[in-house]
Amino acid sequence: MTSQTASLAGGEKPALDMKQVAFWVVAGGIWLLPLIWIDPTIYMVLTVAGVAMGMLLFLTAVGLTIIFGLMDVLNLAHGAFFAWGAYVGFTILGALNGLGWVETGTLAQSILSVAISLAVALVVGGLWGLVVERLIISKIYGDHLKQILITVGASMIMAEIIKVIWGPNQEVMLVPAAFTGSYDIADVVINKFRVAAIVVGAAVYTGVMAVLLKTKLGIIIRAGVENREVVQALGYNITRIFTGVFAAGAALAAVGGSMWGIFREQINPAMGEENLIFALIVVIIGGMGSVTGSFLSAMMVGLAFNYVAFLMPKLALGVNILIMAIILLIRPWGLLGKE
Amino acid sequence: MPIWEGGCPMTEPILELSGVHTFIAQHHILQGVDMAVLPGRATVLLGRNGAGKSTTMRTVMGLTPASKGGIRLDGEDITKARPYEVAQAGVGFVPEDQAVIYSLSVEENFRLAMLNENDDSWKRMDTIFELFPALKKFWRSKAGVLSGGQKQMLAIARAFVGDHKLLLIDEPSKGLAPIVVDQLIDSLNHIAGHTTIILVEQNFHMASHVGSEYFILDDGHVVHQGLMEALVDDHELKQKYLGIA
Amino acid sequence: MDASNQTLTPVESQRLAFERGRYTRPTFLVQLALVAILIACPLMFQSFRVMDVVVKIMIFAVAVASYDIIIGYTGIISFAHGMFFGLGAYAVGLVAYYSGSPHYYHILLGLLLAVAMAMVLAVVIAFFSLRVKAIFFAMMTLAVAEFAHILGYQWSSLTMGEDGVSFKMPGIMNVNWADGTILGIPLNGRLVTYYVILVISVLLFIGIVRFVRSPVGRVLKSIRDNEQRATALGYRIFRYRMLSTVFGSTIAAICGGLFAMWLNYVNPDTVLGIPLMLNILLMVIVGGLGTIYGGIVGAAFINIAETWLPDLQKVASKLFPGNEVMQRLTERWVLYFGILYVLVVLFFPKGVMGSLRDMATRRKAQAMRRD
Repeated sequence: MTSQTASLAGGEKPALDMKQVAFWVVAGGIWLLPLIWIDPTIYMVLTVAGVAMGMLLFLTAVGLTIIFGLMDVLNLAHGAFFAWGAYVGFTILGALNGLGWVETGTLAQSILSVAISLAVALVVGGLWGLVVERLIISKIYGDHLKQILITVGASMIMAEIIKVIWGPNQEVMLVPAAFTGSYDIADVVINKFRVAAIVVGAAVYTGVMAVLLKTKLGIIIRAGVENREVVQALGYNITRIFTGVFAAGAALAAVGGSMWGIFREQINPAMGEENLIFALIVVIIGGMGSVTGSFLSAMMVGLAFNYVAFLMPKLALGVNILIMAIILLIRPWGLLGKE
Repeated sequence: MPIWEGGCPMTEPILELSGVHTFIAQHHILQGVDMAVLPGRATVLLGRNGAGKSTTMRTVMGLTPASKGGIRLDGEDITKARPYEVAQAGVGFVPEDQAVIYSLSVEENFRLAMLNENDDSWKRMDTIFELFPALKKFWRSKAGVLSGGQKQMLAIARAFVGDHKLLLIDEPSKGLAPIVVDQLIDSLNHIAGHTTIILVEQNFHMASHVGSEYFILDDGHVVHQGLMEALVDDHELKQKYLGIA
Repeated sequence: MDASNQTLTPVESQRLAFERGRYTRPTFLVQLALVAILIACPLMFQSFRVMDVVVKIMIFAVAVASYDIIIGYTGIISFAHGMFFGLGAYAVGLVAYYSGSPHYYHILLGLLLAVAMAMVLAVVIAFFSLRVKAIFFAMMTLAVAEFAHILGYQWSSLTMGEDGVSFKMPGIMNVNWADGTILGIPLNGRLVTYYVILVISVLLFIGIVRFVRSPVGRVLKSIRDNEQRATALGYRIFRYRMLSTVFGSTIAAICGGLFAMWLNYVNPDTVLGIPLMLNILLMVIVGGLGTIYGGIVGAAFINIAETWLPDLQKVASKLFPGNEVMQRLTERWVLYFGILYVLVVLFFPKGVMGSLRDMATRRKAQAMRRD
């Protein structure tokens, strides 16, 4: 860099948009409402649970939102990647348990078990993503109806293969020893694995944002989300980038699934569909194509779900669907999506 | 190969179109375009709205592929080439609208344009700042907050960053104040030496000050071509195809 | 001045000739034959299973055709169709259930209730269809449909939750009613219900075809093909779209009611879940989008497959006794279904009827070129 460009470090920055700030303050305030009905200690527990759930939802949603924002592809098979991550994690943990690492492991072994199962889930998810993108998705760019139909079909196929390999029943997921139980901080009971979920989620968010904001690839992806044609005309092979992004999104969803399995301590072949509905809600509320949007809305959905589940269990999922419907009505491109 | 008025080609054309047809949906936009553009100078594509000027550029770029005919860049066949391949072969493109990525900062827009971020690219940035000082001021700002004219300047400046052998620019002066247009004319003339420019322009003032040769398109094919200095005085031709009194 | 003095435009005279030849064309004979087969079916096949499949085909053919109006003719991608079906099923089922031992008018009431609710809901949903982009609308219908599914589970005070609702049919449609034989087959509630459903389905299907061939249907096609042009010609797009979605959704609800009448049982998973919606989607794709008659083909194909594939799979699994993975592979006919699904969408997006129509048009064009 020449001295001229170096001196630009202090360039002009746009002023803060007060309306946006006000909006976020109000939105934040709404999350304090449940305190009216819920005892503060329980509120804290629910908040942690909500944030943890939000983090795990974010893992699936982030891939979905970038895939839609960049490739304009509606990937309804994303839930299947999630399920695969969970089942792969199940097998890995089962194998490690044979070594005594899981149920009877030390802290180090517990962390390693989780790390290994996440890593394998990541790879398997990425491979599935690669296969699905190359074989199917690349043939149907631009046709939303076909994408909806085909990705649903692909999801069906992937779920059936799970049933072939692992059987159609629910399985119990082993939780590594160091993550069982909870911390007790001033009467607030915090499940240990939830903390792990929050750590992983925050790490993924930071990582993804770092790639998007600091690297050349991130610049290309962000530009592509806004205007694919210009990026192509500037000389970038957007198809290869698409494949990579799709595979990365699938890999992250698989990690989310693996974590979710441990979180819920059980897995079943239908978990992908359930997760997909949540992920769609998150992505629509947050805005297609916006990572930060998904992050914030994932938190929102997780919190809303946990608060409402405590107060009126039957309405828990319904409330989120309601929020999504409202957003679709007044601001269909979501909180941070592009119009 | 078309013969130029007032001279014969001494060098190989950098870009050659032969019998190019392009369809957009069911509309037959280019109906047999034949064109040979010589290197090292600025050529202007003129014509009425809908004549096919922008489509010609987009077809060269591969964004709206040709259904028939051939396109050669420096002798190489790029008819079926994908946009990124055409770009990597050394062709730069500044589209009519939406060239600038609003959500990226000015800096990032430039970095995007640099396929390889090396010393040469940054040296070119120095020249760009001389030509467009306003861009320095907004270096860190999101491109979306720039005014229309500034966005246009950014789009063109960004095209200078890549070391292209051929630059296709579509209506750069659209919506710009006359002073800015003059700035633009200067900067285009600055690079016309080592970069071949093909310009689509409705603004005849700009066209005549930048271009040394012209092609007039009408109804999807070339109806007239020649040296700009000859066209300036040809009022009949200007009236017939460009609607200029 | 009588009408024969007026000269007809070329299009009008062509259409008139078309209409006049309506009853002599081969396709009409095929349709007639089809209805004849349906009527004769219980007489030809004495098995309950066959009757069951045929009833399902009839009901779903109409449901899918009504979906085709929305997605194939109007071009609106919606996932709410299954919900309307379920709405109709529950309307009839719950009315029958809550009345203890229902009379005929209860069934009629149930169907009318289904129609009313479907209309209102369809209008509400239609109001949103223009405000948001197509994919957002599709997502929204997915959410609403899933919401209805959950509602079916959770509102157990009304719907009995996941256990579902079992009810009886009145009088001669009741399963237990029997009165000797007719034409050699037992005359019972099932038989009567079969014919009631047959009559209603055929009438509904004719209604759909009339709707699509009517001026309204033609406007819908023009909107689908070139929206800007239709607007420029003065048509209020929104009204037409709303009309078609309300029409299609209402028919779906009636189909759901018929389904309830046949099964005598409704529960959230069979009539309200996403699997049902996917089934309908698959049927419309296999049959062919925008063909209406494709609904018959699609419904037939899928229902026959779903009924007899499990049998086929039992046979196949006997080939590999003992090997668990192979057992599972043969068990999972849904897997092959899914693969078939993907292949159909990728390589035969026009479906059966669509491809047939393409071939017919191509042959006609070739014939014209030769002249």
